[in-house]
Order: sequence, then C-alpha cells, then structure tokens
Amino acid sequence: MIEVRFHGRGGQGAVMASKILATAFVKIKKYGASFPMFGFERRGAPVTAFGRFSKEPIREKTQIYNPDILMVLDPSQKNSSAVFQGLVSGGIMIINYDNDPNDISHENLETIGSIDANTISIEEIGMAMPNTCLLGAFAKVTGTIDLKPVIESFKDYFQGEKLEANARCAKRGFDEVKILIKN
Amino acid sequence: MKTKLNNKSEVKVMTGNETAALAATLCRPDIVAAYPITPQTEVVEKLAQYHASGKLDAEIINVEGENSAMNSITAASLAGGRVFTATSSWGLVFMYDAILVTAGARAPVVMVNVNRETPGMIAVSSGQQDMISTRDCGWIFLIAEDCQEILDMVIMAYRLAEDHDIQIPVMVHYDGFYLSYMAERVEIPFQKNVDDFLSVLKQQPERTKLMPGELLGCGSHGILGGYMEMRHKHCQAMERAKGKFEQINLEFEKKFNKNYGGQVEEYKLYDADIALLASGSMCGTIKTVIDEKRKHGIKIGLLRLRMFRPFPNEKIVQALKGKKCVGVVDRSLCFGFKHGPICVELRSFLSDIGDTKILSFIDGIANTDIKKDNVKKMIDLIIAGSKGEDVPEVTWVSYDENHGGN
Amino acid sequence: MVEKKKKRLSKVFDYLKHEDPFAKGVAFCAGCPLELLVRFIPQVLGNDIVITGTPSCSAPVLMGQNTGSWHKLSYYGTLMTGAAANATGLVRYYNRAGIDNTVICFNGDGTAADIGFGNLSGAAERNEPFIYICYDNEGYMNTGIQRSSTTPFGARTTTTQVGVNSRGKNLRRKNLAMIMAMHKIPYAATATMSNLEDLAQKLLKAKQIKEKGFCYLHVFCPCPTGWGVGPDMSIELCRKAVKTNYFPLWEALNGNFSFSKQVKKPKPVKEYTKLIKKFNHLSDQELDILQKDIDYEYSIIKAMTKLEKEIK
Repeated sequence: MIEVRFHGRGGQGAVMASKILATAFVKIKKYGASFPMFGFERRGAPVTAFGRFSKEPIREKTQIYNPDILMVLDPSQKNSSAVFQGLVSGGIMIINYDNDPNDISHENLETIGSIDANTISIEEIGMAMPNTCLLGAFAKVTGTIDLKPVIESFKDYFQGEKLEANARCAKRGFDEVKILIKN
Repeated sequence: MKTKLNNKSEVKVMTGNETAALAATLCRPDIVAAYPITPQTEVVEKLAQYHASGKLDAEIINVEGENSAMNSITAASLAGGRVFTATSSWGLVFMYDAILVTAGARAPVVMVNVNRETPGMIAVSSGQQDMISTRDCGWIFLIAEDCQEILDMVIMAYRLAEDHDIQIPVMVHYDGFYLSYMAERVEIPFQKNVDDFLSVLKQQPERTKLMPGELLGCGSHGILGGYMEMRHKHCQAMERAKGKFEQINLEFEKKFNKNYGGQVEEYKLYDADIALLASGSMCGTIKTVIDEKRKHGIKIGLLRLRMFRPFPNEKIVQALKGKKCVGVVDRSLCFGFKHGPICVELRSFLSDIGDTKILSFIDGIANTDIKKDNVKKMIDLIIAGSKGEDVPEVTWVSYDENHGGN
Repeated sequence: MVEKKKKRLSKVFDYLKHEDPFAKGVAFCAGCPLELLVRFIPQVLGNDIVITGTPSCSAPVLMGQNTGSWHKLSYYGTLMTGAAANATGLVRYYNRAGIDNTVICFNGDGTAADIGFGNLSGAAERNEPFIYICYDNEGYMNTGIQRSSTTPFGARTTTTQVGVNSRGKNLRRKNLAMIMAMHKIPYAATATMSNLEDLAQKLLKAKQIKEKGFCYLHVFCPCPTGWGVGPDMSIELCRKAVKTNYFPLWEALNGNFSFSKQVKKPKPVKEYTKLIKKFNHLSDQELDILQKDIDYEYSIIKAMTKLEKEIK
C-alpha cells in the first residue's frame, strides 16, 4: 500500500486530486481511498487530503501520518515542516513549482518531481488549477500507475472541453515533469 | 467480509454520503425530505441532483428543518409511502420528538444518520454521541463500517423496516467525516437485483394505511392497558428484528454474494483469547492491527456491532464466552457512568458471558483519530488485563488528565 | 319577519350536505364552540377528509383513546412541533399515488402561532396543497389557560396574572392570519362561529383552491371556561368580536384582500371586553391600549383591501 498526502489551498483541487487518483487505481482493478483533512474548508485556506492506494482492500480509516509520497499543490508550502512531517525515508515529493527544486530539502526526501503546473493549467484550461497536471507527474515520477487510467478517470469528474483540457494538463505533467534524485 | 466480483452493474469511487444517496435512490422511495447539516449535506445535494436528472423518481420535500423532515416522512410512511431522510448530530436531536412518534406509530421509515458529536461544545467533528443521545427512541439502529456497507445496509434496512413482522423504523449510522467524506471503491448493484430483493415485501400482507374516507385513526391517546399493549408489542417486534436481520443478511448474500455477518461480525474470534468489541469505521483499522498482532502470536479477535438496537446480547454472549479479557471501544460517553455506553450495556449481562474481564476504552471523540498506535495501546492493556495485572477499568486512550487531549 | 328568519336559517343548513361523523355526546366543555366547528367542517366538506391534529382542546375528541374514537373520520394525531409537516407528508404521498384527498391540518393557536409556527411557515412557503385551520381561543386552554402569542393585550391567564406586579398580558397579540397572508399563499381568511355561512363558503373555497396550494383559515373560537363566561355566551362573543372589529372577517384570494363583512359603525371594544372575565380588571387607560391595537390591525387590513395589483 502506498500512502499519499496532498497539500494545497482551498480552490486548488487537492481533495479532488486525491479522489481522482483513487478512481484511477480502482479503474486498474486495484483499491483506492481518499479523504480530506477535516476542517472548515474555505477558499485560500490550507487544505490537506489523504490517499491510500493498494492491491488489497483498504481497511484503515485513519489519517496518514507516514506518507510515502507528498503531492504539493501549493508551492509556498515547499519547505513547511507540516508538509514533511512523518515522511518515510526514501520519500517522494511531486510539487507544483516553477523554480529550481534544489531549493527543497528534507533528510527523508529522495525524489522530487517538479513541474510548473500553474502555468500549464493556465495555458490549457485558462485558470490556475494545478491538480490534474500534478496527477500526470505523479504517474511518471512514482511509476505506480500508467498515465492512461489516470486520464480515463477524469471522465467521472469533467465533461466536454474541461475534460479535454485537463487531459492535456495531465499529459504535459507526465511529459514535462523534472525529476531530481537526491542522495 | 467475503466478496465475489459479480452481480454489480459498475464500480465507482464514491464518498459515504454519495453512497447513501445512491442507496436510497436504488430503493425507489416515494417521498424524500431532508435538511442539510455537516457532515451529511452531500446526501441532500446528491438526492436533489438525482431527482433533477430523473434518476430519482420521488417527491422531494425541501423542508425548513430536520423536525419537519421527520414529521413529513413519518406521515407519508403511515399513508403507505416508502420514505427516506438523512441527518446528523443536532439535526437528529432536533427531530427527537418526531422520531419517537415514528417509532411509536411503527412507521417503517429508513434514515441514515451521519455520526457526529452533539452540542455542548460546538463540535463539527466525528463521534457517536448523537446515536447514544437518541438510543432509547424505539428505532432499530444499524452501524456501517465502510462505504460499501452503507450501500448494502440501506437496502437491507428497507427489508427490515417494512417487513410485516417488524414495522419498526431503521436508522443506519455511519461515521461522519471518516466515512461521510471518505471516497472509496463501491460496487453498485443492478437496479433489477435491488428491485428483486425488495419485491419480497410486496408479497407480504399490506400494511395498514391512513387513507381518506376510511375509518382509521393514528396517534390516539394511549391509556393504561392500551398503551402498555402497544409498548409490549413494540418490544416483541424488536426482539424479532434480531432473527429477521440474520435472515435478511443471508438472503442478501444469495442475491449479491456478500456476507457481513448478521447482527455482529466476528473477525478472527474463533481461537482468540482476548477481543475487542467495537463498531463503525474504526473497525477497519482494528482489523489491520489484529492481523499484525497475530503475526506475533497474539490471539486476538474483533467483534463488530452491526446492530446496536435491538442489542444483540445473545450473539455477543456466544462470541465472547470464554475470552479472558475484552476491551470495548466507545466513541461516545454515557454521562453518569465512567464506562463508555456500549461497555455499560455489555456489562449488564456480564454474568452470562462468564469470567471475562471487561475494559472500557473511550476514544475517537470529536474527530480524535483512532490511530493504529491507539489500537495497539488498547491491545496492550487487554493483554495485561488477561494476565490478571492491575489495569484501569476505563481508559481515555487519547487523553491524559495531566496533559490533556492529543 | 318570521318567514325571513326561517329562510336565513335554511341557508346555513344548505351547506351541511354530509353526515355528522361525530358521536352524539363528545368531551368538550359546555358551550365550547369547538364542538360546533369540528361537526361543521366534515358536514360541509365531506367525511372523506383526513384531519391531522395535535395535543390541544380538540385532541381528546379527535384523537380518541387506545382503539376507540368519537368519530368516523380518518385522523392522524401528532406533534405540535410538526403539525404542518405531517400534513405535508400525507398530501404529498396522496398526490403522488393519485389518491383524491382533502387534508386538513387542524390546530389551536398554541400550535399555529407558537410552537408549530416554524413548520406552518415552511409549509406555506412551499405552498403545500392542504388546508390549515387554526382555531384561536387565545391561549393554551387544554393545559389550563396559559397565554399564547395570540392572547390579546390585558388578558388574564394563569401565566399572565393580575396582581401588584402584573396586569394580565402586557404585550399585544400576534396577527397570525395576516402573517400567513404575507406568505403569498393562494388563500388566507378569517372566520368565526357567529357567521357560519361565511365559514362554510370559506371552507368550500379552500377545498377548491387547495389544488393550487396552501390555504389558511383562522377561526376565532371563544373559550367559555378559560375566559370566564357562561356556556351560553360563546356565539354572542363571536358576534361582538366581529361588530367591534376585535376580530374582523376578511379573506385574501391570491393576494387580493377583501372584507367578508364590513362593519359600518364598529362598536368600541369595551362592548366586547365587558362581557368577559379575563378583561374585567382593565382600566380605561388599558382598554385604550387594546382599542388602539385593534384599530391598528384593522387599518392594515383596510389598507390591504385597497391594493389593486393581483399577486399571482
């Protein structure tokens, strides 16, 4: 089972990203569970969501304390201690970031996938909505799932032009993510 | 739970709330009345969406409060309709007078209650206090563990509530936040199979209905023997509901290839020396920890309450007899008792179970996460208790008198 | 004169087209006009109505005891807090199932104006297709004469007593009928037991109009026991209440207000209050406050009758 923690701000689609990813894993006959950190959700407020993905049914209903992977939608949280809390050694971070990922460091962080998802989503969707782009990057960096089921699962969440645009976002996330391996 | 992957029309990732709304829709209710409240709101929205899209063919009453939701569907149920509502916490408490009428009138209403703390301090967070605050209302209470069970339990709830031998309203409880917002894999049955499963009710004698022009009253003034007769019959029907629920579960298995157990689910209990008794979403975590502990040779099992009213005492006695020590996890309080409410109930027939030590664990209040570590802590205490060591009868697992909650 | 009088009487009886579904003797207080009202409604509207009611003065008779009852009507006795919601549930199901129905939600002023006001307002806003009748005896009479929000200024009740520190109710009454009309429902009206033809017409109108939505009838219903008058006085009080404009008869059809009985020269309210023990402690000054309140309420209705635009 892999445990993923999503960090974003209200309105960036962190909760939806975790839900889409769960859907993608279910599409490939695996199991996925996602849920948001509970609080008063307001646009702009920090948001945390959790995702568990596994070959076996997922029974735990707790929050995630030791994530394998961090999905950071909000670049301003890049070095926040809350984001890194409990990260397992050899951890992976996929971040919406337009700068040099060497800025980011943590003792347990081994792999960083960085991509300027804001710019890509503005170009493709017309608004800064980094979630689907990061999902494409997730597929590339973690190798836990192919890009195809991820894009397939968008159909449960978007329609028409929005669906196409988000699929392009994910594709570009997959193709354009920069991977940095730390030692 | 045993599951075979067939007899389902599709697999979707849905939250507990979406699942509850879909489950109700599959049961084809006539009247739906519900009022939004966190963490149940999504149920109301989804029902409205299903109604707007034509998926749900029901009358929707956009009531001005929970009290009216329960009043209106109770009346519609007495007139002969199949009805549904959903609520949580303060909403459940606000309809308290109405749910008493629903039960007293034996209206076969089905409701989901998304468990949340009740007022005192304003707590927008999970906990079973709402369930405990209303437990003696005369309804049947069922508790689901995950999203799939919410769906299956709502379908079974209609079979139970509307059964001619039962005719008691059923409340399906699931943990707010932990299940209400948890999106996970849910197998959705074919509409036809649900229709088939519920069609058994049509073969039963028609229930008495409040109809225009008919000499029939409901809600008369019960006095002395008349009142006692109704209450006695209600209690008898409650007892019958235990066996009926077992039977419905078996029929459900035949139709949908899924068996959760009946009134209780036994998890690795058969050879266990010690056990946990719990309910709701925490049970998944407990099962995971039990698997880990068993790898280390600790023979522990879980007894999960699926039915809380009527209280399945026979099943519990059967399952726990001979265990050295049992820990009961309560996500609520029983003010005036230091033990948790389910623990208090278990202790009431302790002599039937025999020489078993009972420990009360209070945890998960106001969204306090029942982590794997918490479960491990409970198991350590149960092991100590089983060895005759001196352990506290009641433990607030995530709270320390000196340091407060964590 | 004699002939004319007979003709007049027959006009009322013309409306009584259906059997009286009640037993000969029922448990109301002597002289209570409620008995007349509950017998009157099914005789005018038919015995196939469904009545929903709550604990109140009408409850002992309407609810029955255990499996026994005093009438042959379909009846649902339920909560004061949810009276209108219950009627909503019934009518929605009947309409869905294609069952012809006239659901009458029959409550006292305690339910309508106080504890059950929220769901009354909710049902009116949703324009639920049933008839809500409030019989207003100006207090909680079933529990033993306590004040309600329709208890008028100055009235003595067991919770607004007369003594050194208190002079009866020191607040003015809530005008519930007007509040209901302001919900923009298709039909709102007032009626009383001295004007039975008017009441019968309003009931029949409501039965017709309820197909389009919510109908509200506010029926003034004196309480001989609670107000301190003889059992022979209740209809006279209704008459005096109309003649003093204490309780004007009006209706609002699709928002068009009209007086059902315009009193040409209204008598001072004193003519009405002097008959009733609950007012007998009132000073001239206090009576003046009551008179002003009545004039104020009347002026609102009068102003409403002059509105031209129809609300659809």
